[in-house]
Amino acid sequence: MELQRIDEWRVRIPRDSARGMRTDVIVYASAGLLEQIRKDLSLEQAMNVATLPGIAGPSLAMPDIHQGYGFPIGGVAATDIQYGVVSPGGVGFDINCGVRLMNTNLTQEDVRPRMKEIVGQVFRDIPCGTGGKGPFDITHQELEQVLMHGAQFAIGKGYGEQRDCEFTEANGCLPGADPQFVSARAKERGRPQLGTVGSGNHFLEIQHVESIHDPEAARAMGLEVGRVVVLLHCGSRGLGHQVCTDFLAEMGPAMKRHGITVPDRQLACVPIQSKEGQAYLSAMRCAANFAWANRQAILHLLRGSLTRLFGKDTRIHLVYDVCHNIAKREEHIVDGVKRDVLVHRKGATRAFPPGHHEIPSAYSRIGQPVFVPGSMGTASWVLAGAEGAMRETFGSVCHGAGRLMSRTAARRGRNAREVQDDLARQGIIARSETRDGILEEIPEAYKDVDEVIRVVTGAGLAKPVARLRPMGVIKG
Amino acid sequence: MNFHALEHTADIGFRAWGSTFEEMLSNAAMALVAIAMELEDIDPREPYPIAAQGEDRESLLVNWLNEVLYLLDGRRIAPRRVDIQECSETAAGGIAWGEPHTEKHRAKLIVKGVTYHQLKVEPTANGWCCEVYLDI
Repeated sequence: MELQRIDEWRVRIPRDSARGMRTDVIVYASAGLLEQIRKDLSLEQAMNVATLPGIAGPSLAMPDIHQGYGFPIGGVAATDIQYGVVSPGGVGFDINCGVRLMNTNLTQEDVRPRMKEIVGQVFRDIPCGTGGKGPFDITHQELEQVLMHGAQFAIGKGYGEQRDCEFTEANGCLPGADPQFVSARAKERGRPQLGTVGSGNHFLEIQHVESIHDPEAARAMGLEVGRVVVLLHCGSRGLGHQVCTDFLAEMGPAMKRHGITVPDRQLACVPIQSKEGQAYLSAMRCAANFAWANRQAILHLLRGSLTRLFGKDTRIHLVYDVCHNIAKREEHIVDGVKRDVLVHRKGATRAFPPGHHEIPSAYSRIGQPVFVPGSMGTASWVLAGAEGAMRETFGSVCHGAGRLMSRTAARRGRNAREVQDDLARQGIIARSETRDGILEEIPEAYKDVDEVIRVVTGAGLAKPVARLRPMGVIKG
Repeated sequence: MNFHALEHTADIGFRAWGSTFEEMLSNAAMALVAIAMELEDIDPREPYPIAAQGEDRESLLVNWLNEVLYLLDGRRIAPRRVDIQECSETAAGGIAWGEPHTEKHRAKLIVKGVTYHQLKVEPTANGWCCEVYLDI
């Protein structure tokens, strides 16, 4: 594989590197990260994405890229809305997996001495892990409303404030979501799961702001050193997983009908304008709306937990909610021409720059907030979208530190108790429903989040705003 | 045990085998369940019919495992054993023996989906084997 270094932050894999590539791959990585990235199949997967019919601009790989299924995790690809394809693999099983950051009026000093109690309370109130059943018993009719209206449904039920929706990507609802395209199975899997975090790498973390890197942006987001914030990472649960499964099964035969071949079956795709493509996009929007309602419901539960612990004057404001597994119709300039494209973000976060009409007015001067979780023992970052992302990456940036180690390797030779004790010595209280939930997510399993941030900010895709340190970790 | 786990950067896979294709399908089903929960906690006391179809052996295997996953995550049924009653290259059916998922079952992970990533289904000197990666 030919890797041409463009500058300190960018590497090109030219389009003539493999048969069928229609465009270049651009990888955002420093020399150190590139070495780690080359250890798995992620670059091959980014090259496979470059073969998709109707791809506009390059196939992009963020510095947190790691091997996924079909698409790499940390991949971005835009396809022409008229002539291009949509690939469910470019969105993934966890449709609208995303993060939301909540700000509080508590300080590190308020919570540190009570962290065990806080983690215990949140762990009781917010279902995590494999339990699968949330506290909200919604009817079939209500589920249809969730699929159509997303976070708005939750607000309507009293699970939050109208302001929460204004600070959510797409106001917490993608229009054009028709529940008739969501299978009965997907609905059955998802209905009991509203208000649940799930397992794997999903989590809820109580953190404090450790350092500020852009005072104006931090002020706009209400962040200051020592302030307690809560970061939530989860998605559309069984409902989204089943939507992806259903459409992957349909797309194999549909691809044949449309005369499309792809180098990896997991990249199955159909023309956006086909019946199957439109049906998938409608179902995907329903799942995205479910995820926003889910994260909103969890915010509501969290407000209850913290109010019980710290009194009724406790304030929890949503800083922003942004998704990192989605396909969205957007306008972008490609090779100097304005084009209508479908941007697939698979493990990549939207990062719109200052002044963009889709971001809340409170952030129009600073750019859209982006949250990049690190591992439970290191740090997470708050960034703000910058012009570079609009010019180069369809308004997208990384979504995490990126995994380095397999789950089996992370478990090997380690004991959950020792890992928890080690974290406790660093002032971090971690709880998980399962032993493996802690072991598989050990800090060593991830790349260095600071290095990932150095690349995306160095390349001008986003600006660093604040670094957050975990204090309490609730894992699935 | 007629299966073992395979490594993947972010997720997990398994290799399962059997002396016939249908035995392999049955063992692959148990490999998936074993990733999601402790098999020893499950009592195979109730029958649950299970069936799948595909265009070829690969898609049959993926669709078959999707049925097992639906039993687990959709119907909250924990299967302990699968008896296959009919099987061809493109269709399989049988009975999953298990019980409803309760507190007594120790769950390990939520499996989100079954993927085609590096999927292998192939004959061996002693029968059939497959390799499957799961999104978790």
